[in-house]
Amino acid sequence: MTDTAQPVHPSVDARGVAMSFNQGTAEQVDALVDVDLRIESGAFVSLIGPSGCGKSTLLRLIANLIEPTAGQVMVNGKDAAQARLDQDYGMAFQQSGLFDWRTVTKNIELPLELKGWGKAERSARAAEMLELVKLADRGNHMPWQLSGGQQQRIAIARALAAHPPLLLMDEPFGALDEMTREHMQSELLDICAAANTTVVFVTHSIPEAVYLSTQVVVMSAGPGRITDVIDVDLGRTRDEDTREDDGFYKKVTEVREALRGGDHERSTHRSEDR
Amino acid sequence: MLLAVAIAAGAWELYKALGPPDGGDVFGWRIIPKTNDRVMPHIWEMLAEFGDPEVRGRDTAVWEAMLGYSWYTLRMSLAGLLLGGALGIGLAVLMARFRVVERGLLPYVVLSQTIPLIALAPQVAALGGNWGLPKWTWAAALAAFLSFFPVTIATLRGLQSVPAASLELMDSFAASWWTTLRKLRFPAAVPFIVPGLKLAATASVIGVVVSEVSLGLRGVGFAALSYGQKTTSQPATVYTAVFAAALLGLIMFGLVSAAEAFVMRKRPTEINT
Amino acid sequence: MTESRSRRLGDALIAPVCFGVGILAAWEAVVRVTGLKPFVLPAPTAIWTAFTDRFSDVVDKSMVTGANALIGLVLGAVFGIAMSFVIVRFRLLEELVTPLAVALNAVPIVVIVPVLNNMLFGTTSQVPRRLMVTLIVFFVVLVNVSKGLRQVSPTQLELMRSYAASPWEVMKKVRVPNSIGYLVTALRIAAPLAVITAFVSEYFGGPQDGLANAVTNSLNGSKDVTWAYVIGASTLGLIFYLASIGVERVNDATRGPRQAT
Repeated sequence: MTDTAQPVHPSVDARGVAMSFNQGTAEQVDALVDVDLRIESGAFVSLIGPSGCGKSTLLRLIANLIEPTAGQVMVNGKDAAQARLDQDYGMAFQQSGLFDWRTVTKNIELPLELKGWGKAERSARAAEMLELVKLADRGNHMPWQLSGGQQQRIAIARALAAHPPLLLMDEPFGALDEMTREHMQSELLDICAAANTTVVFVTHSIPEAVYLSTQVVVMSAGPGRITDVIDVDLGRTRDEDTREDDGFYKKVTEVREALRGGDHERSTHRSEDR
Repeated sequence: MLLAVAIAAGAWELYKALGPPDGGDVFGWRIIPKTNDRVMPHIWEMLAEFGDPEVRGRDTAVWEAMLGYSWYTLRMSLAGLLLGGALGIGLAVLMARFRVVERGLLPYVVLSQTIPLIALAPQVAALGGNWGLPKWTWAAALAAFLSFFPVTIATLRGLQSVPAASLELMDSFAASWWTTLRKLRFPAAVPFIVPGLKLAATASVIGVVVSEVSLGLRGVGFAALSYGQKTTSQPATVYTAVFAAALLGLIMFGLVSAAEAFVMRKRPTEINT
Repeated sequence: MTESRSRRLGDALIAPVCFGVGILAAWEAVVRVTGLKPFVLPAPTAIWTAFTDRFSDVVDKSMVTGANALIGLVLGAVFGIAMSFVIVRFRLLEELVTPLAVALNAVPIVVIVPVLNNMLFGTTSQVPRRLMVTLIVFFVVLVNVSKGLRQVSPTQLELMRSYAASPWEVMKKVRVPNSIGYLVTALRIAAPLAVITAFVSEYFGGPQDGLANAVTNSLNGSKDVTWAYVIGASTLGLIFYLASIGVERVNDATRGPRQAT
């Protein structure tokens, strides 16, 4: 779905971005060096790579949760910091991060509360979002009464509640079992198609990246950088048959080989990324 | 730590300089402390008091007397801690061995901590007197009463913390329950027992100090009470007892910490219970 | 469902009840058989008679000690909560207060009751006892609540940053709700401690109208009277304990079982 009335700014535009932790000390870690990345509006982009490649760091730079040590990150044509203040994106993490002292509905309303929405508006939107993630009957439950998959769906509903044009996701399905995971992937595609959202998605599962994305960004570690960008032209409507498709297997192989190529120089195992 | 003490001392002197000499009321409560020399002596006066004679006209100085009181209290506390520790570990082993004992006894062990067991001091004294036990054992017994609880709970938790895989391993060796306890469960429980003993050390000192007062044993707690009653003649003396009590508590805590450093020297990290 | 629940409760109770009855029976038997004098060790039946005989007096004394414990508990909690906010805000203060709290925990601070008695005209006043309870409760609450304000899930903090939330909003929406569970835990620890402290403080002088005074005054007489007041003290401790457990249950019912304590 394309909308010509939208401004022509790319959703994300990172130029010459670098990120070092403990800069200037003996323990300096170059998490990212010289990253250029342009994500067009409406795309679904996965960041994939081994531990320590800086994929989570890149996501956090886009979210302006951390500031880059060099380069510039633009989101929707604005500086990333301004985009955060304007709430131009929603975010979901590996841990659902639901507040266990709030009901499901109240959790979804949290970002709206902070934006100063009125009570009636908030609950109307929360009900709408619950409908979207197919948990309409769970609004008054507490988070701990839900399964892991349901909690993650609520976290996505929360991220999308304020209708942000951009959704940032950090391994949101990483803690789920394989069945739930595949189910959630299909639902995520439906939800994002319905809301016309651009997505940046961090994962370390190759099939997941290929199944979801229009573009897979392959990264490698030591120091963290982008080694390859692979277009996935499987069409925008994907279903369970896509997973059996020959084109799908070819793309999986292509991504795997790209990962291996970037991996050659790595000799030692590196600890946790980010 | 030193800084914290220095600030507390500074606050004391500052308040003494600024506060009302005869105290005051807030909402009908007499809650503003008086600052005259009789009730709030200067800190140097408290320290100097250690050198004064304990009773006017006799030549035992306060520090000598206080050393005697402290040693007495320390011995009783140590005895209480050892007794309480042994009782605590023994009970925990029994509970770990027999599920019935755990289910029957654990509620009482928990309840025993919600009630002021120290109320039993006269009873313990009566029984001790009947059996002709020396007086210090009464206080030690009460201290043991107060200190066994944290040890029991910690040990029980430690004994039950062993991973199922290790237990299966011992089973595959056809090891007896007793061997499993010695080789596996008890070593695994040590990191849990040590924090329990720290709490027990504190509880033991408190138990001894309080039973001294209710039984009339001449230790630090008794000194605090009796010095507190002669503020007219020697207002600063009572603080020497307070200092001694604080020091005693810290010494007991330090002893257990030293034991911990020794026992845990080959263990990787402390377990957070 | 309710039937299986009550059966489970019955299963849980049967062992403790058997133990309790067994111990009481053994006690009674030992006293009867060996012919111990009541001023050495009274029989449970004698204690019960003494308790029912002076029931109203036990209640009066319990009210005095209980009021001291309750007032100290409330004041200590209020000051403890207030101070938690202060030390979480000012890092330096925290570094000063934390070692002090640890040291005070290792020290028998009841010995300052005589000092407080002097400072506050104590021989006629309950205030030193209440202050003592306040002090003990204060540190328990301070340590736990400040932990609850600080130990927030990193994901939730990142989330709040992604919402561009102000520090005040983070405090209101994340830290304060997060610390409620810790406050409940602190109260569960502090409630029995408040009774014990109020009781023990009475040993160190002051007015003679509390439970511990009654215990001390019965020292030379028949021990069944002592035990009557011990029952009062135990009941008081239990009431405080059960009340705090009740608060915890209510909290758990709305918030779910807590993972961390």
